[in-house]
Amino acid sequence: MARLQLQHVTRRFDNGQEGLSDVSLSIESGSMVFLTGHSGAGKSTLLKMLIGAETPTTGRVLVDGSDVSQLGPKQMPWYRRQVGIVLQDHNLLENRTVYDNVALPLRITHLSAKDIARRVRGALSTVDLSDKGGLFPKHLSTGEQQRVGIARAVVNRPRIILADEPTGNLDPYLSRQVMSLFHQFCDLGSTVLVASHDIDLIKDQGCRILHLSQGALVQDTAASSEVAT
Amino acid sequence: MAGDTKAEDGRDGESPLAVERPKGGRLQAWFADHGRAASDASLFVSQRLISSFLVWLMVGVALTLPGLLWIAQSNVQAINQQWQGSAGLTVYMKLAASQQLIDDMEIRLNRETGVERVIRTTPDQALQELLEQSDESAFLRDAMAAVGSNPLPASFAVVLNDSSSYLQLDALSRKLSAQTGVDDVVIEMTWLERLRDLSELFNRLGSGLSIMLLIAAVLVAFASVRLAIESRLGELRVLALIGATPAQMRRPFLYFGSAYGIGGGVMAIMLIAVFLNQIEAPLQSLLVSYRAGIEIAGFTPGFLLAILLVGWFLGVAGAMLALFQRGGTDKPPS
Repeated sequence: MARLQLQHVTRRFDNGQEGLSDVSLSIESGSMVFLTGHSGAGKSTLLKMLIGAETPTTGRVLVDGSDVSQLGPKQMPWYRRQVGIVLQDHNLLENRTVYDNVALPLRITHLSAKDIARRVRGALSTVDLSDKGGLFPKHLSTGEQQRVGIARAVVNRPRIILADEPTGNLDPYLSRQVMSLFHQFCDLGSTVLVASHDIDLIKDQGCRILHLSQGALVQDTAASSEVAT
Repeated sequence: MAGDTKAEDGRDGESPLAVERPKGGRLQAWFADHGRAASDASLFVSQRLISSFLVWLMVGVALTLPGLLWIAQSNVQAINQQWQGSAGLTVYMKLAASQQLIDDMEIRLNRETGVERVIRTTPDQALQELLEQSDESAFLRDAMAAVGSNPLPASFAVVLNDSSSYLQLDALSRKLSAQTGVDDVVIEMTWLERLRDLSELFNRLGSGLSIMLLIAAVLVAFASVRLAIESRLGELRVLALIGATPAQMRRPFLYFGSAYGIGGGVMAIMLIAVFLNQIEAPLQSLLVSYRAGIEIAGFTPGFLLAILLVGWFLGVAGAMLALFQRGGTDKPPS
């Protein structure tokens, strides 16, 4: 069964504009897919629908066959705990250390301090920031901040990872590092959907590419076997 | 890190929509969450000590006046209750009044509406009481011997029942004054009667003022918590994004409200204590001048606890109002 599905999804805003226009797609479990298109093409709207921050005007957004827009206020937090989200501007809490930022998703799930420490250390190690746990975000470079954001997204071991322009502020070298991390999580079973307008970077990844234009899905390119390193 | 995901979880195939409950039981999770919210609130308040102090002061001032009014009210009531045991008037007969007139007056007084009891004091009893109460009884005894007869009249202490008003007392006094053989009628402790009216005034005025000030305290807490919400909007959005429940997001702000309310209560207690300390000496002097040696009552541990509880309640009410008014803090960042 497909992990993520959109069935004839249209999102019409109050001003009459359509953020998404009759989009239907399906993403298999454990795959890594890129979502691309120009600014305003509907990439962020689609990701917001997948995290339940937007509801479709018509159509259905399904995760493992269940309609996300039908989740009530009590179910939504439990769902979001199982989706890792990476944003372009990181959204790190400036008054908390790197460790505390990464630990945040675990603290709300009431894990023991020991388990939290173990998982946070693991996540920081994965993004190569083991020695930065005690620092505050303002003391990190943009690339490091982005990696902290990724660590926070994956520390809860999500089955789905959604990333919205995760390399927007990064140089090509760091962008490739971030992509490499997503590949690692995908290899471990997570379903990864990355929205990006960096066509060159995306083409190198050898993954399926969904191309949005003015809210419509205009191209669906299958994955190639070659992955640039 | 991600490498041990499958091994530890073994959750592949589970739906992300499946509800994952916290381990360790709901109660433990609830306590852990409250602990986190409380420490979060203490950190927030301690990082903004000056502005928090101002909030405490504002809530404290708003709580002080109702507190003081309550103490004043309970003291006035205490004075009233002491007075109610001996309410009434004293009828002094003329020295020349016959025994028959005195007996008739006693019968008449006992028949009057509103009279609870009549205590008759003969001239001899009055003299005896005077001698017992006087520090210079020997001098008085000599003076009486020189006069040759008892100069004190027979009298009746008339105690009225609780429902009698000052107006009834006054009407009775006028009626009795006009009777044959009556020399004088003295209404006892009329100042206390006025105090009772004053107490009623306090009651009504105080209730209105108190309600307004307590609303002011709620609004102070509301405004402060609202500012706290605004300053942490980014954090709230991140919390919503990572799956914090609405209750988890609300909780720190309810603790802020509690901290502001309880802090305001402590401030109010200090202000009331200072105020009472300042007025105690002149008030005692005033009461003694009316022969009503009454200690200021009401500043008890129960009262202090009540002030703290009211402060806490108002703080939480303000916080809830702010959360209700703000709403929509659970929107993830765009």
